[in-house]
Amino acid sequence: MENNTIVLRKKVVGVLREWGLILAIIVITIIATIIRPAFLSGTNMLNILRAYSTIGIASFGMAYAVIAGGMDLSIGSTISLTAVITMLIVNNMTVATVAPATAALLVLLVGIGIGAAIGAINGSIMAAVNGKLAESFIITYAMQIVIGAVAQAIVRGNFQAAQYRSGLFKEFGIGIVPVLFMIIVAIIMQFLLVKTKFGRSLYFLGANMGAAKMAGLKVKQVRFIAHMICGMCAGLAGVIVVARVGSASVLQGQNYELDALVCVSIGGTSLDGGSGSIMRTLLGVMVVGFMMTALNILGVQSNAQLIVRGAIIVLAVALDVLNKSMKFREVAQ
Amino acid sequence: MEDYILEMHHITKRFPGVVALNDVSFKVKRGEIHALVGENGAGKSTLMKILNGVYQTDEGDIVLNGQQTIIRNTTEAKAKGIGLVFQEFNLVNSLSVAENLYINRLTKRHGRIDWKTIYREAQEFTDSLGFNFHATDKIEHLSAAQKQLVEIAKVLLVKSDLIVMDEPTSSLTTTETEILFKIIRNLKREGVSIVYISHKLEEVFALSDTTTILRDGEVVDSAPTNTLTRDQIVEKMVGRSVDMEFPRKKCGIGEVVLKVNNITRNGLIEDISFELHKGEILGFAGLIGSGRTEVAEAIFGAEAYDRGTIEINGKKIAIHSTHQAKEESLGLLPEDRKETGLVLAYNLIWNISITNLDKTKKKRFISEKKEAQFAQELSKELNIKTPSLKQYAVNLSGGNQQKVVFAKWLFSDVDILILDEPTRGIDVGAKYEIYQLMNRLAEQGKAIIMISSELPEVIGMSDRLVVLSGGEKMGELSREEATPEAVMSLAVSN
Repeated sequence: MENNTIVLRKKVVGVLREWGLILAIIVITIIATIIRPAFLSGTNMLNILRAYSTIGIASFGMAYAVIAGGMDLSIGSTISLTAVITMLIVNNMTVATVAPATAALLVLLVGIGIGAAIGAINGSIMAAVNGKLAESFIITYAMQIVIGAVAQAIVRGNFQAAQYRSGLFKEFGIGIVPVLFMIIVAIIMQFLLVKTKFGRSLYFLGANMGAAKMAGLKVKQVRFIAHMICGMCAGLAGVIVVARVGSASVLQGQNYELDALVCVSIGGTSLDGGSGSIMRTLLGVMVVGFMMTALNILGVQSNAQLIVRGAIIVLAVALDVLNKSMKFREVAQ
Repeated sequence: MEDYILEMHHITKRFPGVVALNDVSFKVKRGEIHALVGENGAGKSTLMKILNGVYQTDEGDIVLNGQQTIIRNTTEAKAKGIGLVFQEFNLVNSLSVAENLYINRLTKRHGRIDWKTIYREAQEFTDSLGFNFHATDKIEHLSAAQKQLVEIAKVLLVKSDLIVMDEPTSSLTTTETEILFKIIRNLKREGVSIVYISHKLEEVFALSDTTTILRDGEVVDSAPTNTLTRDQIVEKMVGRSVDMEFPRKKCGIGEVVLKVNNITRNGLIEDISFELHKGEILGFAGLIGSGRTEVAEAIFGAEAYDRGTIEINGKKIAIHSTHQAKEESLGLLPEDRKETGLVLAYNLIWNISITNLDKTKKKRFISEKKEAQFAQELSKELNIKTPSLKQYAVNLSGGNQQKVVFAKWLFSDVDILILDEPTRGIDVGAKYEIYQLMNRLAEQGKAIIMISSELPEVIGMSDRLVVLSGGEKMGELSREEATPEAVMSLAVSN
């Protein structure tokens, strides 16, 4: 008797772990479609994915930091800073002086470069102090404040519209292009994670820094690169945000770090570090995107939406805990 | 009619794919010390987990004090007077000894916790047990041995009729072991029965009245301890005769591969120099805290050294990181395999391949297939017992876990291997396999440093011994010179 219920519970958790995210997306879609058939339309699907593409890209970077046993709270400010700088660059170029392709490449490089630089600072401090989760929290939070102030100083607090939006740069924000960006970044990062020494080292670092060190891994270097990649993702997200919304302000990246953490944990990446995947993070982004859009379409009040959002996070964490408590015994027997 | 406090009749426990216990009957008399021995995986822990309600038996019954009982969980076991001392520590590091002892039973006075009484009682209690630390000491400031004593005290604080001790001495030094033995004998005098699980047969002979031997989930023998000899017990445990406990075969010792000159870590080790040859097993003897691990950490680049030089194959090399040490063909099997030797939450394949992922690559990227093949080969070579390579390391017995740590360094094929307490907490059979493995590696021309606190082992397995004391090298002994007396007199000379 007792054994049967345990087996059943294990099975349920196992199925939820494997298929829970996809199941959630399907259920949300069905419910929303029944009430508003337009939800299922191609346009709507594309709109959702486009709207969440930048959160997605930022989440992938966050997932790296989390898998390695840390987190990055500075990505919000990083997005704001790259957004305002991208806007300044774009506004200072004219079709007459710069070819669209060159302009596009330039903003991409500058954006990702800024992100990389901020991530590198985070990463070097983390490496220097042999930091884990708690240190990363403080260090990147401090960075969030500093970078926020820099962005503020550049635009002097003003909201500014991008005047020049033509050529390739504009394409970054329209149609399916942002979605493609998200998917390509996801594929590359997932591949790096499972197929390279660096990816495997990320896992070991997050699971047990002492064991990683004793296995002869380059602990500091891996930590540094993880944070740098996280910054690069935020930089890229910053560029695409400007292309999509056509303006930039110092508030552009507000709450991105939290949204990313939500997507990462819903995607099944434990905040303890040492486990997780980019593809699941992508599914996590989709769950959040579909859910929030469905709530919008259904006319749910924004306060109620926040409650739902909170509930999703609690659910994700609960599943993670349940998952962990059963994981070992399951294989043991 | 014998007076049995515990009778477990015809216990059978199956896990998918294995019969962990097959028709096991186990009886403990009132007031006796009953040793339970067997290799890891023989079923000792499963039997004790059934007794403590962690698992439910598939067949058979448990009779406690002459009454048939069902024990559903550990709380029930406790309520029925069964105490359990585990190897793992369940102590709160940031709290004091007294707080840890009384955490479940905080005496209140006028509605407030009566710390004065608690500390007084805790102090009296630990004093009565013969512990030499204060009730106000924080757990984090205690040694591993002292923590184990606190763990034991926690169990003793609750009146039990039957106490199960699962390898209580694995982290104790001689002094603390003596204290524990005294406690156990006192308990016996008070009529408490003890089930004593240990790999150390000396302890079994020193303490127990009866010995039960388990092998592969079955009882091989159960007899008064004084009717058994050491060799008989070992033979019954491993199911074959053991001709030699330490099978060190001398093989051709070659040129110097590692030369350490005056390595110093301020305040920890001073001016340690020695040479290590190809094909040699160099023993590092000394008491706990004598600086052996600190030397190993410095050579392996895990901790920085302040002075001194390291030469590998005649080339002076400043080692700054573990990665660099590995590149120089150095490997370290750390003292604490659960903390730093393995990632317990990862499977065997991942744990083995991590030292040399480049080898698993196919066209510049990791091939899971190749990775699994290599792991398969090594697990076969080292006789790692596991239902699957996908098994998480946490689920393996101590001996098998240690073999996985060996496998990971064999995979990286290092020439110099530092083994820090390679047989700690593992059973006789697995120990023997590890000794044979060390022999094989030495024969292949690897150079091995073996750090061990078990004197017979380090003397029996080493070609040469370096004895440390208080962070300094006290001397070097050849195999012929290395008697226990000679080693000990050096080990306590500083």
